[in-house]
Parts: sequence; structure tokens; C-alpha cells
Amino acid sequence: MAVVSALLCATLATAGCGLGPGADVGDVRLTVTREYGAVPVLDTAVEAKESDTVMRVLEGEADISTRYGGGFVHSIDGVAEGQRGGDPYDWFFYVDGVESQIGAAEYDVAGGERIWWDYRNWSATDHVPAVVGSWPAPFSDGIGGRRYPVVVECEGGEGACGEAREALEREGVKVASGEPEKALRILVGPWAQVRHDPAARAIEAGPAESGIFADFISASPREPSNSEHSRGLAKSFELVALDQGGEVAESLGPNAGLVAATSRYGGLPAWVVTGGTAAAVGEAAHAFDAEHLRDHYAVAIDRGKTVPLPLEER
Amino acid sequence: MKSPFAYQPRPRPLQLASPGAAVAYLGAIVAVAFLYSNPLVLLAAGAAAVTAGLLAGARRAVWFALKMGLALALLIVVVNALVVDRGATVVARLGEWPLLGRVDVTFEALVAGLSSGLRAAVTMVAAAVYSACVDPDRVLRVLRPLARRSALTATLVSRLVPVAAADAARLRDAGRLRGPAAAPVGKAPLARRLLAGSLDRAVDVAATLELRGYSLDAPPARNRRSRSRYDRRFYAVAAFGLIAATAARALGADDFQTYPTVEIGLGGATLALSGLVALSGLAPLRRKQNRRSPSADGTKVPLYGGKSSRRRAVVDRSGEVARV
Repeated sequence: MAVVSALLCATLATAGCGLGPGADVGDVRLTVTREYGAVPVLDTAVEAKESDTVMRVLEGEADISTRYGGGFVHSIDGVAEGQRGGDPYDWFFYVDGVESQIGAAEYDVAGGERIWWDYRNWSATDHVPAVVGSWPAPFSDGIGGRRYPVVVECEGGEGACGEAREALEREGVKVASGEPEKALRILVGPWAQVRHDPAARAIEAGPAESGIFADFISASPREPSNSEHSRGLAKSFELVALDQGGEVAESLGPNAGLVAATSRYGGLPAWVVTGGTAAAVGEAAHAFDAEHLRDHYAVAIDRGKTVPLPLEER
Repeated sequence: MKSPFAYQPRPRPLQLASPGAAVAYLGAIVAVAFLYSNPLVLLAAGAAAVTAGLLAGARRAVWFALKMGLALALLIVVVNALVVDRGATVVARLGEWPLLGRVDVTFEALVAGLSSGLRAAVTMVAAAVYSACVDPDRVLRVLRPLARRSALTATLVSRLVPVAAADAARLRDAGRLRGPAAAPVGKAPLARRLLAGSLDRAVDVAATLELRGYSLDAPPARNRRSRSRYDRRFYAVAAFGLIAATAARALGADDFQTYPTVEIGLGGATLALSGLVALSGLAPLRRKQNRRSPSADGTKVPLYGGKSSRRRAVVDRSGEVARV
């Protein structure tokens, strides 16, 4: 009988059964902000347990209330979803810089994740599929504990590509060569080239499509001819920053760079390091680090200065 | 043996009250159980339903309903604990299950299940008290002006189902009386015989109804039973209970949260409402009667109707049975 009991206990323990929340699985980084990361609320490392979910991690560190049977965060530290100035506000969360397809109460934590809760105006879009503010995630540890190959796709930004690769390698990321399937892609190059990628091109369709509060407008009056194109005289673009409502807030010019992340049809995120000119791409690649990216949805680099996107409404 | 939930006429206030009053009273208890999730209020509503049933003499119905209700509550708790893994306090990890995925039993899911289970139990007890204490004939009589054919159908069903059950019991007895060596009676032949007998009886009933002129227009209502002296009490308790519940809810008496952590409000409004709801169970309480002549003027009031009533119980004006 004792042997049977011991065997049963061993089997249950092996199957992940037991009493209480279970053993530690590692630290997770929990960040809580407001207004697209502009207002920090909480930033802490949490020791996650075997049974932890994104919701449990948050509940352990902040005073929250929920709705719909505990599946939906209603308020964090007293800041509740609702209308503000006629705009809808809500809490959204990202794990390793990627918007979750499932609820916080269902998202199991494996350890090592970067969880970011942000309270924001979603009048322009309630779907921002990926953000850059959890850098070096998702490249360093994958997404939700699953690692993917990281590829830097050079689209005419040779020097900037090298700089991007170095930035990744400084974070311990091994950059893959070739074109592996299911890879985290970083597209580096002037917008005239990068825009040919279907995922990147979503930027031109607006934040509702791409989740990126920026746009590129043509700086040249006409499309380049084939000969101009072959000589590298492609159409030039200017970076435009949008506000939280998705409206044009400021034109940053052709020399402003952009670092942003998006994803197409719920696929893996694709980052863009781009700008209207090669110099702008260099500026963007130069900002490929935590100092410039942390807790921002996307950033524009204008004359060496980081401009978090979207811009605040005036 | 009669079902514990079958109506039994008793000279108690709940049975003597008009169906509307009894339904309003028991319905108010159920309404409170659905308005509130706070376990304290639900326990008070349960206590009210149990007390009302016991005071109405429906001890067996209350006991059976409690057993069934608590079993259902337990089932709801278990299912909720397995299906819902929300909540901050993990009590047990049950590993990966087919279809369910990872199952974590949380304290919050257990409490949420308990709240739903309590609500189901309260509803079951109140329904059992209704079934055992409210005369279905009088309910149907109230409904007859609204839906004559439906009321007739319901009356027939309520009569014929027990008759069919008795037929089945008799057939089984007959089968057993053939002796120990006889082959056991199969369920299919028994059901066939029962169906044939029911159809025969249905034809007889139809013929009888036709002969009695049920196909003609409804006769004018006669011998409407006067209101019971207990009606006002039950209506008042129901109205007061519902108003108090609504007002207390507005004052935050339903301060109960299960996710992400359990928070049970035990404020003044909650405690006051719980007390009121529990006390409402005393509504069917009889006042002690003096042992003297049935009434001052000696007038008898028919219990179930006038001359046309098939039952012959008669009560005096104080509500006591004078003659059956």
C-alpha cells in the first residue's frame, strides 16, 4: 500500500500535480504604465511560480479589479477602463513585446518574460500587435518561453544593418543567416525599399492596420522611372508622426528614423528600422537599444532625439 | 409512497394563503438569491426558505430538497474548480487534463462555485416548499382565465402522471406475485403495457370531458374563493423583502468579489439585509389560537371553494381547520 501511495505521489508530482502554487520558474519583469508608456506606474521583477499566469503576476504586485469572471482587468491601482475626454481607455498587455491572443488569466508564465501593462486611449485602434518597448524581447528569450530564429533583413541599409546586428549581439542574441521559416525579422533600410515587404507596408494603411502611429508620405512629386530606380534614385519619403487619435501630428522630415514593430495576420512580429533616407536609417539603427526603446510602442529618431510614438494629443 | 414534493393540504398559513400570495412570498426569496452573490445573503435566503418550509409542515420536502440542493451545490463547486482556473490563490495543481488543459484549482473558483451552488440550493428548497405547500389546482384555477386549454392540459397531466406511476407500481407488483421461479418482467414489455393502458385511459378521459361539456364555452366563474386572511402578510413580506433587497444593493450590500481575490463584504447593509431575509422565513408562523368556539359568530369558511369543491375541509375565520 505504501509503495502504491509513493508511486502515485511520484506520478502526480511528475505530471505537475501538487498542492499550492508550485515551484519557482524564474523571474519575470512586470511593467505597468499609462499613456503609451509615457507615465510609469510600476516596474519590478517578480519571482514566478509554476502555476502563475499574467493575471496572477499582476495581482500579486498591484491592486486590481476584474470583470467577466476574472478574465478581464477592469482597473489597476484604481485606474479603471472607461471614457476620458470622449476617448475610450483600457488596459492592454504585452508579453515579450507581443500582444497576446488570449486573456491574461489564461496566459501561463514560463519564467523570463517581460510583461507590460499599459493604460491607453484606443480610439485609433484597439489592436497594436507588437511594440518595441520590451527590448531586447522578443529577440533575447523568444515569446512566452518559445525561442525563434532572429533574422536581420537588409533592404539597402548596409551600415545600419551591421549596427542592428551588433546591438542584437550585445544582448546575447544569435542572428541567424539565410531565410529560416518562422523567424523574428528585423527589416533595415530606407522606407522606399522596406515598404515592399507586406508586413512593413501595413504602416501606410494606418495604425488600425499596423498598430504603428507613424506614416511615410512621399517627398517627391512622382514615382521614379525604371532608370532612376536602377541608379538608386528611388522615391523619397518623409516620416510623419501620428497622435493617439491616429491623426497627423507632426512631420518629422526625411532625415528622421523609425524603429517600430508590427505583425501581419497574427504572425510573428516584424520590426522595421527605417527612415526616409540612408542617414535616417542610420539614426534609427543607432537607437537600437534599451535606453531609446524601453517602454515605448515605437520611436522616431529626429536629429538624435528620441520621439516616442504616438505623440501626445495637443 | 407519495412523493415528498407532492402537495399536501395542511391547515397552515402558507397552504391557506392564495396561490398568488404564496408564489409572491417564495418568489421573493428566490429573487433575493438571484439578486445577490454574497454567501451571507444566500445563506440567509436559504435559511428563510428552510424555515418557511418547516413552519408550513413540509419537513420531508425541505429535507429532500436540501439533500438534492447541497449535492447539486457540491457538483457546481467541483465543476467550477476544474473548469475555471482564474483567481490568485492556487490551492492545488492537477496537471494537464484532456480538453481542459492545465488545471489549477484556486480558492477563488471554489468560493465562486459555492456561491452559485448556494443559489441553486436556495432555489431548489423554495421550489420544493412551493410544490409541497401550494395547491396546484388552485394555481391552475388562477391561470384558467389566461390560458384555458393550457390549464386543462396541465390539470390532466398533473392527474394522469401519478395515475400512470401507480399503474406501473401495480404492474411491477403483479409481476413479482407470479412467484420466484417466474421470468423477470422486462422494462420494454412493462412500458408497452403501461402505454397501452395510458392510451385507453386517455380515450376514456376524452369521452368523459366531452360528455361533461368541456368543448363548450367556459361556464361563468362561480364560487370564487375569498382571499385568505394570510394573503396580506405574505404579500407584505414579499414586497418588503424585495424593496429592502433592492435598496440594500444600492447601498453596496452585495459587496462580494471572487476574482482575482475573494472579498466578502460584511458591512452594516449586508448584515441588516441578511437578518431581514432570514427573518422573512418566519412569515408562515401561526399565531397561537385560543381553544374556544371556531369563531365569534360561528361562521364557517370553505377552505377550497364552495359547494362545487371536491374537497370538504372547512376552516373557521381564524384559519384553523374546523371540519374535513
